[in-house]
Amino acid sequence: MADEIKKCGDLDERLAPFVDGEDTPDDRARVAAHLADCPPCLHQVDAERSARDIVREHRDALSAHAPEALRARCTAALGGGSSSAFRRPASVLRKWAPLSLAATLVLAVAGVFVFGLNNRVEALAASLAVDHVKCFKVSGAEARTDAVTAAQKWQQDNGWAVAVPPADPAEQLQLLDVRRCFSTDGRAAHMMYTWRGAPLSLYVLPEDIGRDQVVRKMGHDAVIWCANRRTYAVVADGQSPEDLTRVVAYMKANAK
Amino acid sequence: MAFRRPSNRGDDAEFTRAALSHIDSLYGLALRLTRRAADAEDLVQDTYLKAFRAAHQFEPGTNLKAWLFTILHNTFRNNRRHDGRNPVDVDSEAVERAANDGAADQSPEQILSRQTLDADLQAALDALPDSFRQAVWLRDVEELSYAEIARVLDVPVGTVMSRISRGRRALSEGLQARRARASAPAVRMGSRGRG
Repeated sequence: MADEIKKCGDLDERLAPFVDGEDTPDDRARVAAHLADCPPCLHQVDAERSARDIVREHRDALSAHAPEALRARCTAALGGGSSSAFRRPASVLRKWAPLSLAATLVLAVAGVFVFGLNNRVEALAASLAVDHVKCFKVSGAEARTDAVTAAQKWQQDNGWAVAVPPADPAEQLQLLDVRRCFSTDGRAAHMMYTWRGAPLSLYVLPEDIGRDQVVRKMGHDAVIWCANRRTYAVVADGQSPEDLTRVVAYMKANAK
Repeated sequence: MAFRRPSNRGDDAEFTRAALSHIDSLYGLALRLTRRAADAEDLVQDTYLKAFRAAHQFEPGTNLKAWLFTILHNTFRNNRRHDGRNPVDVDSEAVERAANDGAADQSPEQILSRQTLDADLQAALDALPDSFRQAVWLRDVEELSYAEIARVLDVPVGTVMSRISRGRRALSEGLQARRARASAPAVRMGSRGRG
């Protein structure tokens, strides 16, 4: 940029490098020569330099610290794994979540600390409840897939087979996605459904944890059962115990 | 749809860790752009989700933080567009006027003391047009090179230099105006009391 400076406007793109000391010696000399003859431009340089210095001196005060909840949310979302595409949170799903995701994560971490050493099932239920909220936040409601394709893709990507219970329009049960989950170290297959318009999760773990039970965690009942060396769990939003029994029976019949 | 092959899971973890280490910087820029904490948080989360979907496009050895800024900038601009708002509110002429109308009889050093209040500075920065504020922020707070800023904002390097310069001068002007407003009532009250 060794063009002549014929008028003040020619300085437009040269002042920042001049003030930052990042221009070529040639350019620098030309700008300096103009400034020596032009008090208004010199004044501009002084103004620019003082603003630059002030911002740089206050860099620490200006820098933001990301809230812990945001940090947790992003960490959780990114840990969601390499087997699923991330999608924009759909606003229709946001209002379903009974707790904010951040609050749920805090509770979940607390849950794992409280129960983790003593009761593996409690810890598992807490972790599944988190994934239930998180995955529906991260995935979009539009992500429909069919059961056969999803099952084939799961086996291809993960090396073990799952039976994916199909959608049932008569029951308003729709299959959204099958993904690998974060809280169970990526071991669980997370089948995401909507049932009567609300999120419902079916999880399958490739191991038998040895007991059937219903565990209430974070406002969600996790119905856990074991069969053929697998552990299954259903976590749903806002269903009555009778309704839950009904959908669990459907899942039990179709997830073998 | 996998964004990496499973054999690269170690790389994924490393990429995740590296990307998350820039969360403060992303949040800082998001705050400056949206000026609302809730919007800034959404913007940062969207940025990370997009970044991981596009992780394979990142060229190792280049500036990861600048790459993340690029995604954040584009996401912000697209959201704005969908909101029906003007994507970039550059009023170059107004800024040019502001930057050139300085109090020519006082040196900036006299007016802008080094003890400028952080709040004043924040407010003066927030008052800048988006494109100027972003250029100054990326340069003076995040210390990106002109070329990196040009990639983030998708404009020529010359434009970046011009925006930085004009942004800084407008900021200087804004600070002076704030300082003048803050001191004027006190002077009046003092003189009235003694008169």
